[in-house]
Amino acid sequence: MESAASNGPRPIPVKIVVAGGFGVGKTTFVGAISEIEPLRSEALITEASSGVDDLFENGTKTTTTVAMDFGRISLQNHLILYLFGTPGQDRFHFMWHELARGAIGAVVLVDTRRLDACFAAIDFFEQRDTPFMVVVNTFDGRLNHPLEDVREALNISDHVPMAYCDARVRIDVQGILVQLVEYALLRALQEIPA
Amino acid sequence: MSRHAAEGRLVRPYTMTGGRTGQDIPTIALEGLVAATPEGLSARHQFRWEAERIIELAGDGTAIIELAALLDVPVGVVRVVVADLAKRGAVQIIDAPSGTVNDLDGIAYANLLKKVLDGIRSL
Repeated sequence: MESAASNGPRPIPVKIVVAGGFGVGKTTFVGAISEIEPLRSEALITEASSGVDDLFENGTKTTTTVAMDFGRISLQNHLILYLFGTPGQDRFHFMWHELARGAIGAVVLVDTRRLDACFAAIDFFEQRDTPFMVVVNTFDGRLNHPLEDVREALNISDHVPMAYCDARVRIDVQGILVQLVEYALLRALQEIPA
Repeated sequence: MSRHAAEGRLVRPYTMTGGRTGQDIPTIALEGLVAATPEGLSARHQFRWEAERIIELAGDGTAIIELAALLDVPVGVVRVVVADLAKRGAVQIIDAPSGTVNDLDGIAYANLLKKVLDGIRSL
């Protein structure tokens, strides 16, 4: 009963989270590099819930759905990388725990016209000690905010990588993912006892 | 969302899990993969339609969240059905190493990240 349908090596799933405010371009970012059109999946939740699976316990609670967009990239060595966009609305922050659990790291997308929209995501990943980087989406070509100004405005630690990216452009997104995993790797290596 | 609409959404998932909540099963990571076993593939017609579809869609490995999206049902429902199928040997769950990062030693995790990095670079 142990064998799967094929005898090839077992695929290994890994994930990266893409966070940021509503409408900042998370799904665009995912779609630029995903090998499938980004899919939308829903979890049923109760307003009072802290998880997604306890819906049926009490039919009188208010139920709602929280949507997550995701994409997939098959990598060599049988790795499958999933990219998860976080739900935009603040009231769904508890879903972030599930998304962030075991993630390699997170990309926090920033729109410089609405800097405050990314505060919650930055706070979350800082507190959780998830490797993250801050990426300014330049989707309309605006580069009028130097990254160091954004870093100062958002009060981001010096060690957190920052970059520009056009979320529509595959090679930009690929470059961001490389930077994020490099950073996660650096942090992982630092934690190995000498 | 109106109350009526919220109730309407519940009918199908509730039916599919027989009303079970999934609280008695271990949580499979959203990106955890489900693979059909040869036994599951040959016996798939004996299962309810949603379980049969999961076996067919799973193939060599399809993530829980992807199954949920493809079937258009909530993630929690897929987890319950998949756990049943796994218990009966019809599918195999390939849990995410990222779901158990704390169980990997530092060197194994760093090696995994190096492979991911190589993979993204050579896209």
